[in-house]
Formats: sequence, C-alpha cells, structure tokens
Amino acid sequence: MHIRDLPYPDPGRPDVRSGPRFLIWLGRNQLGGQVKSALWGLVHMAALVSFPLAIGFGVQAVVDRSGSRLAMAGALMVGLTVLTALGDAMLHRAAVTNWITAAARVQQLLSRKTVELGSALTRKVAAGEVVAVSTGDVEKIGWFVEALSRFTAAAITTVAVCVALVLYQPALGAVVAVGVPALALAVLPLLPRAARRADEQRDKAGRATELASDTVAGLRVLRGIGGEELFLGRYRNASQEVRTAAVRSARMWALIAAVQVALPGLLLIGVVWYGASLAQKGRIDVGELVTVYSAVTFLLFPLRHFEEIAMAYSFSRPSARRAARVLALRRSSSESAGAPPVDKGEHGEGQETAARLGGDLYDPTSGMLAPSGLLTAVVCGDPDAAGRLADRLGGHPVHGGPDDGSHGDSDRGSHGDSDRGSHGRAASALLGGIALDEVPLTAARTAVLVQDKDPVLLSGTLTELLDVPRSGEVSAEKALDAAQCGDVLDALAQASAADTHGADGADGPDPMRTRITERGRSLSGGQRQRLALARSLVTDPEVLVLDEPTSAVDSHTEARIADGVRRLRTGRTTIVFTSSPLLLDRADRVVFVPDGEAVGVGTHRELLGTDPVYRAVVTRETDGEAAARSAGRSTGPAGHGLKGIGRVEEEIEESA
Amino acid sequence: MIGVAPPAYDPAAPESATTLPVGTPTTVRAYVRELLRRHRAAFTVLMVVNATAVIASMVGPRLLGGLVEDLSEGERDLHIGRTVALFAVALLVQTVFVRMVRMRGAVLGERMLADLREDFLVRSVGLPPGVLERAGTGDLLSRITTDVDRLANAMREAVPQLAIGVVWTGLLLGALTLTAPPLGLAVLVALPVLVVGCRWYYRRAPSAYRSEAAGYAAVSASLTESVDAGRTVEAHRLGERRIAQSELRIRQWTAWERYTLWLRSVLFPVINVSYTLITGSVLMIGGVCVMRGWMSIGDLTTGALLSQMLVEPIGLILRWYDELQVAQVSLARLVGVREIEEGPADEGVVPGGREVRADEVRFGYHEGSDVLHEVSMRVPPGTRLALVGPSGAGKSTLGRLLAGIYSPRTGRVTLGGAELARMPAERVRAHVALVNQEHHVFVGSLRDNLLLARAFAEDAELWAALGAVDADGWARALDEGLDTEVGSGGLALTPAQAQQIALARLVLADPHTLVLDEATSLLDPRAARHLERSLGRVLEGRTVVAIAHRLHTAHDADVIAVVEGGRITELGSHDELVEADGAYAALWRSWHQ
Repeated sequence: MHIRDLPYPDPGRPDVRSGPRFLIWLGRNQLGGQVKSALWGLVHMAALVSFPLAIGFGVQAVVDRSGSRLAMAGALMVGLTVLTALGDAMLHRAAVTNWITAAARVQQLLSRKTVELGSALTRKVAAGEVVAVSTGDVEKIGWFVEALSRFTAAAITTVAVCVALVLYQPALGAVVAVGVPALALAVLPLLPRAARRADEQRDKAGRATELASDTVAGLRVLRGIGGEELFLGRYRNASQEVRTAAVRSARMWALIAAVQVALPGLLLIGVVWYGASLAQKGRIDVGELVTVYSAVTFLLFPLRHFEEIAMAYSFSRPSARRAARVLALRRSSSESAGAPPVDKGEHGEGQETAARLGGDLYDPTSGMLAPSGLLTAVVCGDPDAAGRLADRLGGHPVHGGPDDGSHGDSDRGSHGDSDRGSHGRAASALLGGIALDEVPLTAARTAVLVQDKDPVLLSGTLTELLDVPRSGEVSAEKALDAAQCGDVLDALAQASAADTHGADGADGPDPMRTRITERGRSLSGGQRQRLALARSLVTDPEVLVLDEPTSAVDSHTEARIADGVRRLRTGRTTIVFTSSPLLLDRADRVVFVPDGEAVGVGTHRELLGTDPVYRAVVTRETDGEAAARSAGRSTGPAGHGLKGIGRVEEEIEESA
Repeated sequence: MIGVAPPAYDPAAPESATTLPVGTPTTVRAYVRELLRRHRAAFTVLMVVNATAVIASMVGPRLLGGLVEDLSEGERDLHIGRTVALFAVALLVQTVFVRMVRMRGAVLGERMLADLREDFLVRSVGLPPGVLERAGTGDLLSRITTDVDRLANAMREAVPQLAIGVVWTGLLLGALTLTAPPLGLAVLVALPVLVVGCRWYYRRAPSAYRSEAAGYAAVSASLTESVDAGRTVEAHRLGERRIAQSELRIRQWTAWERYTLWLRSVLFPVINVSYTLITGSVLMIGGVCVMRGWMSIGDLTTGALLSQMLVEPIGLILRWYDELQVAQVSLARLVGVREIEEGPADEGVVPGGREVRADEVRFGYHEGSDVLHEVSMRVPPGTRLALVGPSGAGKSTLGRLLAGIYSPRTGRVTLGGAELARMPAERVRAHVALVNQEHHVFVGSLRDNLLLARAFAEDAELWAALGAVDADGWARALDEGLDTEVGSGGLALTPAQAQQIALARLVLADPHTLVLDEATSLLDPRAARHLERSLGRVLEGRTVVAIAHRLHTAHDADVIAVVEGGRITELGSHDELVEADGAYAALWRSWHQ
C-alpha cells in the first residue's frame, strides 16, 4: 500500500475480539510492509555496525604503515556509508508508511462505525470513547506498528553482531556477547514506572489545560463580573502541579539515562581492560581492539529499539483494547429501525419504499393526527414530552418513557445525553398506515425529517451546509429566504470581507462560500437556528417535523419565518412543535397535547376561545385569573414577576 | 520521478484571519530575553554540569588512544590498572553528571514552561471585555490549548537539549582539534554537505509539519463532529457524506505525510553521510599524517573515537532544531496577546450618579459601515427599558455600548456623567453588568462558581444568593452542597440551573444597572418561565435594559424602544406604542389576539 493511494477503498472487517487480536489483524493486513521495513532495517543496521570493522582496519593499517590498506579502509567506509544512508532512509520510509496506513485504516473504520451507530451513539457513553480512540489511541497503535519492524531488524542485527564478534575475536567477543543482553534488558524494569509517571504527568497537564480552556471559555463572564484572581490562583496551582509531576517523571528518565551511560561504560572498561592485556600478550591486534571497542559503542543504536518496543507495546495495548471495544459496538436491534444507513444493499430498496410512503401521519400513542399536505402545529405543555412525540413521529427510537408525566427534575430535551434508562418503547407513528420503524431506516428518514431542538450545524461553507440529500424542488435561496437568513448572510459576508480584505475575487465577498465554524459557534443562537431551519427546508421531505424551530428568534423575525415556511411547504405535510402564538396563528390546524394526549383540535383562534388551559399555555397570561385558570397544570403559574418595578417618570427620548 | 511537491491544500492555513494579534519578532525576542534573564542562574548551572559530563565522556577515547600508542610502540608496562581506574572514575563522573543534566534540564524547562503558560493566562484574563466580545474566545482557546502544548515540547526538551547539544559539539570539536589540529580539517570536509542539506530541509520542514499536524487534527475533528452530530447526520441521511468527508481529510493529511516523508528522505542520508564523512576523513587525514610522522597513532585513535562521538550531539541539535522553529510560531501567538492595548482606562473617572445616557452615538464593527446611527437616549435610575426589533437591527450592539463593553465611534455613553469607555473594566462592572445567553458554569466547586462575583463572601451569603434565585432547593439537595464539583467533568447542570447560577452571581456582584441580552432565549419555554420569576426578584430596584425577544417581556417594560436599521424608530410605553399603531402595534396584535 502506498501512501498516495490512501484512503483504502474498503478498510475491511476488523477482528475486534480483543486488543491483541486487533493488533494482529492490523499487522496481517500490512505484512508486506512489515517485511519490507524489516529488510531495509537489516541493511541499515548491518552496515552501521560493520563500520567499526573499517575503523579498526584503518587504525591497524596505520600501525602497519600500509598506505594501500588505509585506502582500502577508506573505500570500505564509502561503501558502508552508502548502505547505511540508503538503508536508513528506506527503513524510515517503510516504517512510517506502516504507521500511516494503519492509522488511516483505523480512522476509516471509526468513521464508518460512527455513521452506522448514528443517533444511537450520542446517547451512549461510547461517544467519548470513539473520540478518544481517534485523537489519542490511533497514534499509539501506529507507534507500535511502526516500531515493530525496526525492532525485528535490531534484534537480528544484535544477535548477528555478537555471533560475528565471537567468531572474529573469540576472547573479546565473548565478553561483548555476555554483556550486550544485560545492556538490552537492564533498563526494562525501569520503563513501566517511567511510563506510569509520564501518564501521571499527562493527566495533570490535561487537567491544567482543561482549567485554562475553561477559564478562557468563560472569560467574558469573568471580565463581566469579576473573579479573575480566584481563577488565576487555581490555574497556578494546577500548573505547578504539572511542573512537579513533570520533574518527578524526569527523575525517572534521568535515572534511565544514567543507566544507559553506566552500563555500556562498564562493558567498555571490561573490553579495554581485557583487550589491552590480550594485546599486550600479542594475542590480538591493536586494530582488533579498536574494532571491538567501536563495535560496542555502535551496538548501542540497535539496543535502543529494545526499549522502544517495550514502551510502544505498553502504551498501545490499552489503546488497541479500547479501539477493539469501540469497533465492536453494534446498533442494538431495539434501536435500529431497519437496515443501517450505510448498507448499500438496502439503499435502493429504501429509496423505493420511501417513494411509496405518504399520506396522513398518525401517532397512536397520543392520538395526534397530521393530515397530509397541511401545516399542523402541536402544543405540548412539556418540552420533554414534545421531544418524545417528535421522535415517534419520525420512527426514531424513543428514550425516556412514553409520556410518563415526569415533569420534575429535567429541563432538558429528551434527546440530549439522556441519562435515564429506557422505560420501554412506544409504538412509532404511522405514515399512511405504515409504521415508520418497520420500514428500512433510509426510507423512514427520507419520508420524515425530524429537526430536533438542538440541530447541529456541521462545519463547512454555507453551500456545503445546505448540500444535503434533498428533493431538488426547493432551492437554497428560497429556503434561506423562508427561514429569514438575510442577516446571517450579511454577517457572513462581512466576516469574509474582514478576513480576506477583499483580496480574492473582485466581485466581493460571497456569503455562500464563507466557512461556518464548528457547530456554528461564531453565530448567535437565533442565527444558528434559522440556518438549521433553512437546511431542513431545502431537504423538502414528504413530512417535516420541527421541534421549537424559532425558540431563539425574536418575534419580528418569527412572524416572517412563519409566513415563509407556510408558503414554502404548501402541499407538503409539516408539523411544528411550538407555543408561540405567531406560529400557531399561521397553522392550518393546531393540536393541543397536554400530558401526552391530544385533547383539542382546531385553529389557534378556535382553541383560544374554547380552551382556557390552551389559552394559558400559549399566551402566558400574567393576570391573576389566568394564573388561577392554569393552576394545577404542569406548566405552573405563568407569572414572571417582572412587573412591580416602580415606574419612574419616563424621560427616555430620542433625538436626531 | 524524484521528489514530492508540497500538497496544494494546506490544512494549517488559517480558516479565518486570527482575531487577536500575533507577536512581532521584536516582542518575541524581548520575551525570550526576559525569560532567560529570569532563569539565568539555572541555565549557567546546566551548562557547567553538561560540560563536565561531556569532558568525562572524552576520557575513554583518550585512554584507549594512549593504550594503542603504547601497544604500537611495543611498550612493556601499560599501567593497565591505572588506566582502568581512571576510566572507571571518569565513567562515574559522567554517569552522575548525565543524570544531573537530565534533571536540571527538565527542572529548568518545566519552570520556563510554567512561567510561560501562567503569564499567558494572566494576560488573557486582563483583556478588555470589548476585545473578548468582538474576537470571541475561540482564538484565545486555541492558543491556550494547541500552542501551549507545542511549546511544552520545546521548553521541556528542545531548549535544554539544544543548549546541551551545542556545548557538547563545541567541546568535542575543541578536543578533536586539541588532540591533533589537522583532524579539525576533517570536520570542514563534512560541514558543507551538512549545511546545504539542512538548509534545504529546514526551509521547508516547519511549515510542512504544521500542515501535517493540522491535517491530522482535521481527521479527528471530522470524526468528532460526526459523533457530536450523530442525530442530525442520521435525520438528514448524511452518513455517506460524513464517511466521504472523513476520507477526504485522510487523503489531505496523508498527502502532507508523504511530503514530509520526502523531506526526511533527503535529510536522513545527508546526516548519515555527514557522520561517516567526519569519521572517514579523520581516519584518512590522520592516517596520512601518522605515516608522515606528523601525528602519533594514539592521537589518531582518540580522534577517530571522538569524531564518532559527534553523532549524538549533532543528532540532538538536528532533532530539536525544527521543534524550536515550530515553537517560535506558537510563542509569537502567545506573546501576541501582550500586544493588545489596554484601552484608555482612567482611574480618575468616577460616576456621579446612576443615570445611563447615550449622546449621538455612532458605532460600527468594521470601518465604513456603522451599525448604529446617531442614537441618543436617557435611562433614569430604576427604569425598565425594553429594546425590540428584528435580528441584526443593532439591539445587542446598543446593549453592549450601554454596558460599557464597546466604546462608541463618535458620541458618548455615560453613567452618572462619567464616560464608560474611559473607566477600567473593574470599575464598570461594579455598576453595570451584561447578562447574555452565555451562562458558563466553570469547572470547579459550586462555591467557586459563586465566589467569583464576590471574592470573600461567607457561605451564608452564597446560600442567600442561591435562595434569591430559587436555586437553593436543588443546591441543598446536592450531596456535597457548595463543594459539589460542577462544570465539564463534574455534575452536569441543566441550562436552567446554569442560568440560575449566573443570576446568583449577579445578586452577589450587586450592580445597580443590568443589560439583559436574550438571557433566557435558549431555554425551553417552561424553564424560561420558571427562571423569569427568579429574574424578577434580582431585577427589583435596578435599572434594566432588556433586549427582548418575546413580546411579553416588552409588554411589562416601562419604556419600549423599537430598533430598526440602527436607529430608534419608536419609543414609548406599551400602551402608547399600541395607540400609535406602528410596527410594534401590528406585531402585538398578531401575537396577542
């Protein structure tokens, strides 16, 4: 596999039974790369450790006053230099290629797994794990994969050199052959502790970074209200803790460095001592002594790979275990409506089924009916219940129990990172009589689009944002217009003008090509909400379910959006969960679903007149009699206490 | 084909212009000098210890050279015992000092790093609120995470190791030349190869590695986004596209990997060749010299072994040099925060009352396009003013001017006759607070989250503040009360609880004027309603400027200002505006049948 051919057309099916098995699976898939890398490693290291031979040969030639043999030593050096350099470069290329192909493969597997798990993933603790594998573990796995072939080459070289030295100069060689394994193994017992301290240090550093980014993230709050010193003090403590942990960790590495100096040094002393006496007795040449001395110093290079592989394995083992665990996740059958969304085989069938789906949308649990082609508004007192009903309408698995009436603790939507268990499944809605969780997933999602309370804007340009699977009937301009995104376009155009200083493109900034940062953080809540709405409108599904699509939008704009959506969705089925009179007034029909049951159907005005509870929910009347009327409902008294501020004689005026 | 061109797409290219300044070379140099001055003593000790270790390491080759000399001369008494003893002492010294070098290097590096990151945060929390409001915190955030991380490596390893490497190389070369001056020439043979190769490499490497790192980060970021948006991805059937997106990122990243691999494919042979060239030419030049009788065989051996030892320090320098280059960029970004002007804060400006006033205020975010045009208004103490109008009309901007966060381009915004723009942020916030949608819960205890508003408050005061915003119920139910860890990683609070904490902070900070910008708009209606009750209590007796999304908020205000196109188009009480039958009245009718 060449790097330029990445990504893989198909990353394959990994063996995820355990961490080591996953590593073996990765290794089997790049066996050729591993062998190639090990062979080049052999060339490199063999040439490297042969160098002392040339040095010793040269010194001996000088001792013997032989110019021709000195020249030969020179020629030998040139040859070895070429081999060393070539081997090193090729080893590096092969080993790094192994790293990159393995990392790319794991990343590809992760992205496929993420899509397969889809919305199920966001509810699982596993979401954090997937990200952790991608950001941290892949590199550690890659490290092991890369180091493996180098280690293989180093091990073979070391053994070969020891054997060769014994053959070349038996007496001195034996000393080296005994000493080298001791050198190779000596620091290994220190490594786990060093690795542990390094981990501690990383944890502390992570904590300090977290504190710092948390402080920066809330900096506007701090600057607005105070407390800088408190947070600086906290950060200083954390930062000093990192320093202490790092020094503690450095102490271990300093010890290892000392051992790495002392042990080879002792071996060298032994070689000098024994070698000198041998040379004195005339049993070895001076050149041979220099060769053995030099060989020991050169052997230190392959020996380092013994330490590296030990470190790499101890780091990558937990990483491989986590990667295997994440890749083994399945969309459980109770959560999956039908086929997984990426399954190509089901795709065609899904489209066909989607084409057949249509008609009235009916939720048997609440009795809510949305007639085909109309704009239906739904008023629920409880936003959690609204979220669950919206889920059912799209055939999404519902978590948190079918309208169990628990209004108590949670103010969140039901599909955040819901922490409560599933209380059982409610029947999904029927579209034209067909249960949505019984058709293929693609078909269900194509027919009904549920925009939840917190839709995510994926990063990219505005054009990319709106480039979603769609019917093609609604243009981006129309959708943006209906969702009242004019000021968002202006803001984006200004931002891009400020960025480029009009450098590229003489025709001025194009808001459609301006990048929206991750999750649209550069935009206000209202702007994000309107862009998400535009994206849903451009999709133009048979049935569109919108859950509080304008909760962060001001009343002026909300009124215009209501008109725009109504106009754009003419003839299509649209369901809006809202309690805003501006939207309700523009709906064809309003269904009132307090406590999980549809109790009233009619137009906004009809319901206002006939249902006092409905009136209380949507108008938030502040008057005593409204509060009395609404008493006992889950929504609680509707007062907001903003009154009662003593009115001062007004002197607000406008000049100019 | 030989060579790989750098990929066309550069993931490290800034997505949008950096919103905060980047340090100029002068500032960076000044900062580095200051840092070194602060740690001068430690640095000197490190160098001395390092030199000792290096000199001890040269004893071995020297002794072997002597032995070879004696052996080749046919000397009978080699003093092997004395030689070995000397060798052992030198080894002991070397071992002890190498350990010390590593320790001292780490201690020094960690101390400089701690200084640097703490300095940065000190500067960051001192930034003028207007700068933060405008630039956002994203750029700052990436500096404190990515850039501090990159510098960590440089400070912890690169700076000490480079210093060590340079001293080490210098000493070895010195010893080599001292042993036999002609051997110094051998180094000159290798130098041109090394210099040319390294120049080629270092001219390309730092930016290439930055791009590579950014490319790799983008792979993870793309996946993180898919995970984060799992529900949206499924609802919009974006699965295939997300996979394609991930694979595109992988292709872009690996293209850079391929390029940097090519750079190293050039550098590695250059380094390998340089090493062996040094040793080889020492041997050849020395060999000739010995045969001519200009040099002893012992000096040649010592020289050859010393030259072999050059591998390590040169490797050290090469290894850490590009890290230093990368670090320089990060350092410039960190130091850049120091260049932000504090603004013309004047301790002498003290408000003489509570009336907020805007006089013919013009303001714009970009030159040549004003968002507000000639706005003038007066908000007497205790008044509740609602700003209503369509998105983008300038409501929020006006609110921020009244809260003293921005300074008007022309005109004045005053509090009790004193200009807000000229007051230090610490003084402004004692009087005026801006409450927006951002209800950040800090990582830490609930107590810390409240104490920031009043540093030395007693627990009883904190409970009273929580009680004032109806939050004492759930707070008392917490197992560890005020010591409960909240924020990311701790107990997750609901948005409504987070907002209650923000309000409790206001109770503690006790400013007399509040600017509310859509404070409750991101909450679901039920939570918002609940919260508004608490809010009402907090607002009592204060001057309030509320940027209103919901008409019922406007309805309750003493005065409503309709903002359209950067101007105030309608002004009056609810009843007056309904009477006047303008834009507000039309909206109100539609809203409230």
